[in-house]
Amino acid sequence: MTFAILGLVLRAAVVVTGAALLTFVLLWNAPGDPAMAIAQARYNFVVPTEVLEQVRAESGLDAGFWAAFKDWIGPLLVGDFGRSSVTGREVWPDLVTAIGYTVPLALMGLAIGLAIALPLAALAARNPGSVLDRVCVALASVGVAIPQYWLGLLLILLFAVHLGWLPAMGARSTANLVLPALTLGLGVAASLTRIIRSGILEARNQSFLPAIRRRGVSPSSIERDHVAPHAAIPVVTVLGLELAFLLEGVVVVEVIFGRPGLGGFLVTAIGARDFPKVQAVVLLTALLFVIINLLIDIFYQVLDPRIGEHDA
Amino acid sequence: MTLSVSDLRVERAGRIILHPTSLDIEPGARIGLVGSSGSGKSTLGHALIDDLQRQGRVVAQVPQSPDEALDPLRTMAFHWREAEKALGLNHDKQRRQQLFSALRIEHGDLRKRPWGWSRGMQQRFVIAMALIGSPELIVLDEPTSALDPVVAADTMDLLDKFLSGRRTAMILITHDLGLAARRVSQLMVMDAGNIVENALTTDLLERPKTQAARALAAHRSWLELPC
Ligand SMILES: Nc1ncnc2c1ncn2[C@@H]1O[C@H](COP(=O)(O)OP(=O)(O)OP(=O)(O)O)[C@@H](O)[C@H]1O
Ligand SMILES: [Mg+2]
Repeated sequence: MTFAILGLVLRAAVVVTGAALLTFVLLWNAPGDPAMAIAQARYNFVVPTEVLEQVRAESGLDAGFWAAFKDWIGPLLVGDFGRSSVTGREVWPDLVTAIGYTVPLALMGLAIGLAIALPLAALAARNPGSVLDRVCVALASVGVAIPQYWLGLLLILLFAVHLGWLPAMGARSTANLVLPALTLGLGVAASLTRIIRSGILEARNQSFLPAIRRRGVSPSSIERDHVAPHAAIPVVTVLGLELAFLLEGVVVVEVIFGRPGLGGFLVTAIGARDFPKVQAVVLLTALLFVIINLLIDIFYQVLDPRIGEHDA
Repeated sequence: MTLSVSDLRVERAGRIILHPTSLDIEPGARIGLVGSSGSGKSTLGHALIDDLQRQGRVVAQVPQSPDEALDPLRTMAFHWREAEKALGLNHDKQRRQQLFSALRIEHGDLRKRPWGWSRGMQQRFVIAMALIGSPELIVLDEPTSALDPVVAADTMDLLDKFLSGRRTAMILITHDLGLAARRVSQLMVMDAGNIVENALTTDLLERPKTQAARALAAHRSWLELPC
């Protein structure tokens, strides 16, 4: 057990360090002069060479790749994310504010996705191959095919412009959360529906179900006690991946709906080559992935203890 | 009371895999259902159970392998409780203890899932579960083919002992005539979806009438097998 935990922590460390190093390399080697980008973002006009050199020195860009990397990762190891190269403000508080906008949106999107997908999948799986099933699957496919930026605009047109029920832009109230969350949710609902449906159908095909039925167990009990747990296994895997997809989608959706959050935070930071900010987001995302994966691993073992058993 | 079914018929993919069959089964009967692979033994077993259950009779089934009887995600305790509930019975620890000791699995840990038990123990658990409601008939579909010969013989001995003196009838499906010959008094031979011969075990083994029965009886080596 301790061995397993050690392995997981080691894996997490490798993933996070790898992600950090890789982004640093990419940012460092991206075309254009990073000092120029930072200076332009800072002063908003073309700067003379002396100022440029000063920015270069301040941001530690003149000391070479490894020195810059060490400058950044050293303080990080004691929990200091550093200061923005552009504003000089500390990265951490701004990051926390951005997360405060993004996480509720992502979770709400996932909740909406599940709320749509579960009943749709159950309906489709009730009678596989029927017209109802085909309609449900077709609805799901449409959801996959619609790009989020288009769906977002469509929703704005309908609910904000045409009907005037909901605000289109900003993040002033909970009402502002509805349209972006719906955009995200419809996107995930599509793939979730298909996964859950096939999970249910596969679970119903198991060899031990006829014997349980002949023991006199009612169909509804069989669905609840034997089909649902088996169907949940593939769904949990996909849910983790889905959450990853959501975080990606969040960036697009936040920009469309003019919401502050990780999306805007990242886009401006990349434009300005604000190394500490970009790195902070990358690191956080990598960490999040590792944590989600870890949770899925644990949840798996709760759902299907055979998995842990075989590893041992 | 005699269990009877009439004109059981099964068609799959446009092909008749069980031709119309009628059967009467007396209480306490010991019947072997033999025949080559694909002759329709399991099909008849399932049709028989489903039809009798529709008549409201209490019949139980033991599939060939515990994998076909137990959900790997559910504990043994869950399976037991579920079987009791399905029969409308309250939880009765004493009944469970009695069945467990009859099949010698009293030391099995009920909190474990099926794969935490050996296959031989799983199969005995499934047999014990089939006996919960004191069924009028228990249909065992090659119950020991997944077990090693010694465990298989033990399991059948325990079941025999438990059933002796009870009114529960038994149908033992097998393609192993050796197993059948020792455990049953009546043999039914199946061929291509038909019962082609139905006779006392000794008669059938001595004087097989049909080609199918002769082919099965010709493998005399069954006499030396441990079960
Ligand atoms: N679902 C099905 N669809 C089509 N054909 C089937 C189906 N189930 C069984 N059959 C066919 O019915 C015939 C009888 O099958 P059954 O399983 O009853 O044979 P069996 O005597 O039990 O054989 P075995 O000794 O191998 O278990 C076989 O030819 C099989 O291919
Ligand atoms: Mg069979």
